[in-house]
Amino acid sequence: MRDDARLRLRSRSPVEGLERRRLGPLEVFAQSVSGAAPSAAMAATPAIVAVSAGHGTVWSFVIATVLALLVAGCIARFTRRMAASGGLYSLTAKGLTPAAAYASALASLLGYGLLAAGALVGATLYLGALFDVLWGTSGGRVGAAVVMAVIGLGTGVLVLRGARLSARVVLLAESISITLMLIVFSLLLAGGPAAAAAPADATAMPPPGFGGIVAGVLPALAAFIGFEIATSLGTEVRRPFRSVPRAVGLTAAVAGVLYVFAAQVQVFGFSATPGGLAGQAEPVVALAAAKGWGWLPVLLDLGLVMSFVACGLATATALARVLFSLSRDGVAPQAFGRTHRRFRTPHLAVLASVPVTTGVPVVLLAAGVPLPTVLVTVLTLAACGFLLAYLLVCAAAPVFLHRIGELTWPAVAVSAVIVPILLIVLVAFVVTRPLSGALLGGLAVLGAVGYLLLRRRRPEALAGIGVYDETTTADVLFPHRGAA
Amino acid sequence: MTAPLPLSGRQPKAVRSALHVLEEVVSAGPGVTAKEISESLAMPQATTYRILNLLVAEEYLVRLPDLSGFALGRRAARLALPAAATLTTAARAVVDHMRAQTRWAVHVASFAAEQISLVDPDPDHPAPDAGALARFPYAFALGRLLLAEQADWRALVRDVRPFTARTVTSESELDRTLKAVARDGLARQCGEFREDRGCIAVPIRGPRDGRLVAGIALAGPTARIAEPNEEIIRLLRDHAARLAPLLA
Repeated sequence: MRDDARLRLRSRSPVEGLERRRLGPLEVFAQSVSGAAPSAAMAATPAIVAVSAGHGTVWSFVIATVLALLVAGCIARFTRRMAASGGLYSLTAKGLTPAAAYASALASLLGYGLLAAGALVGATLYLGALFDVLWGTSGGRVGAAVVMAVIGLGTGVLVLRGARLSARVVLLAESISITLMLIVFSLLLAGGPAAAAAPADATAMPPPGFGGIVAGVLPALAAFIGFEIATSLGTEVRRPFRSVPRAVGLTAAVAGVLYVFAAQVQVFGFSATPGGLAGQAEPVVALAAAKGWGWLPVLLDLGLVMSFVACGLATATALARVLFSLSRDGVAPQAFGRTHRRFRTPHLAVLASVPVTTGVPVVLLAAGVPLPTVLVTVLTLAACGFLLAYLLVCAAAPVFLHRIGELTWPAVAVSAVIVPILLIVLVAFVVTRPLSGALLGGLAVLGAVGYLLLRRRRPEALAGIGVYDETTTADVLFPHRGAA
Repeated sequence: MTAPLPLSGRQPKAVRSALHVLEEVVSAGPGVTAKEISESLAMPQATTYRILNLLVAEEYLVRLPDLSGFALGRRAARLALPAAATLTTAARAVVDHMRAQTRWAVHVASFAAEQISLVDPDPDHPAPDAGALARFPYAFALGRLLLAEQADWRALVRDVRPFTARTVTSESELDRTLKAVARDGLARQCGEFREDRGCIAVPIRGPRDGRLVAGIALAGPTARIAEPNEEIIRLLRDHAARLAPLLA
């Protein structure tokens, strides 16, 4: 027993109650891929990037992929050494101050919450488009509200029923979605450049220039957000120290390859069109129309709906885990830390979060805000949250390694490169979107007030922020006692 | 998810280093840090860190709550053979008393270091297949006691294969079966390894900490084992309780 005290071993893990060590490597990987929702970004992001990068669009995606891989590398410094449920903030806490971890937690809550809402809006939007193509009606605003409520309810039930079940649904939906996307883009590539209709205000594609490519990295990097979702499943993965870093790194790589492919296809497809890819609002639909393939958008919409549904499930799962972990820290209300006896999920955290991420879009819809506007605003704000969380975790990585005496020079070098870049990207993101900037500023003030209140009321909870699935007495083999 | 393994058979130096690191953690005792290991083995730091992370990922080592200290993980116990355990005279008397109450075979197995070893197979009956018991614990009542105790039973099961038409091989069904074992404190298999034989086993737990130390099993004809057998199970539990202080 002396050993236990000296080594500060507890008899129970601080995140006890979740279904420990159950998910397989493929299931965690699917969650991370769904978080990044590559299908949606494949269809929409290249045109946005092309506005500044022009013919260099593909290079913007290549650079963004390298950056995402570097962020994945920083995250892996932690996930190879600890298994957490709170995602990036639990990791950040091991390197930086409690204030930084708290900021990361808020950024993650904002990011996951908005991404979950955005995914719901996206699914509704494209399901409506699908109905429109197939049956000539999108169902109107009432139909959209009903669809939202049904998808939201389904998401809540699946996430509540267990990480394993929702992971399998996610795996299936995401596989179908990516397969459909690959079919759509391969067909477009095989069809060659098309003389698509150019928008009335078509200007020439910007010439390929270094400045344009760099500016294009901004939206291209935003296409990766959510790829780190596997970090919030650390406790529930069978071999977390192997599966989680691999899932995150592989997601960055796979999404990167898909984006570069999609960008190449679209730049090539519009090479015969005045204005090129840059002027297109719905590039894939325009290309299909130019070729007379009216049925292609059906495949595309189906793929997008699947992808958004999977993304909603993955982010709702992560959001509940972050709330759960914050509750076990003593930062969030105690109820969120309770787990369902049979399903082994943080059911109260799910019940508190999914209705909000479902309700807000429904209310906005009822208020008459057009869904595409909601989608773009929500995703922009979410991207800011994620970028802040990435920035903090990358800054924390070398400090963490130094603290445990395992610092190596590559860890310092990677952080020295990625931290300033992420800082510039974050600032540029906020500055170029004044509305989002103002909203974020407001949220930052609220967060600061919350921090000060917390520091006054529960300083010990704040100081100990960042619980993770610690090694317990039962995990250790003591030389003189054998297996405990 | 098929990235090449960081160590392959073609890297004998890496394998050797990994074994040295394991040995160093054993001799230094729990709490030793990466830097200390790297210094005492005169091994480059980056190599040491990589090997340590690998051994942690494979669960032979664990990181202590301060994240800088290392200790042997439970999986490392499986590298060593359990000490040949024999029952004390007092414990043997209890088992013999149980044997006198039934015509079925009575076996006792120890679960030290998460390995099943028959410490007292019934001398008057054919001994169970010890090799199969260790390799395919899911098909035996004694094996299920051990599996039901694990946070993740899959860690102890290498391959699942059917021996008879009755063998439970689906992961979800095994999961349910083991949950029931944990709940009832009773494991049973009817003709899952051999058509004509079945087995009932109950756990023997340390009286102080409640930790699973051994199991006592009854083996008999499949049809009879499948019956409720309330009386004999009560007797078995009785003897398990009497064995507990003698084995823990």
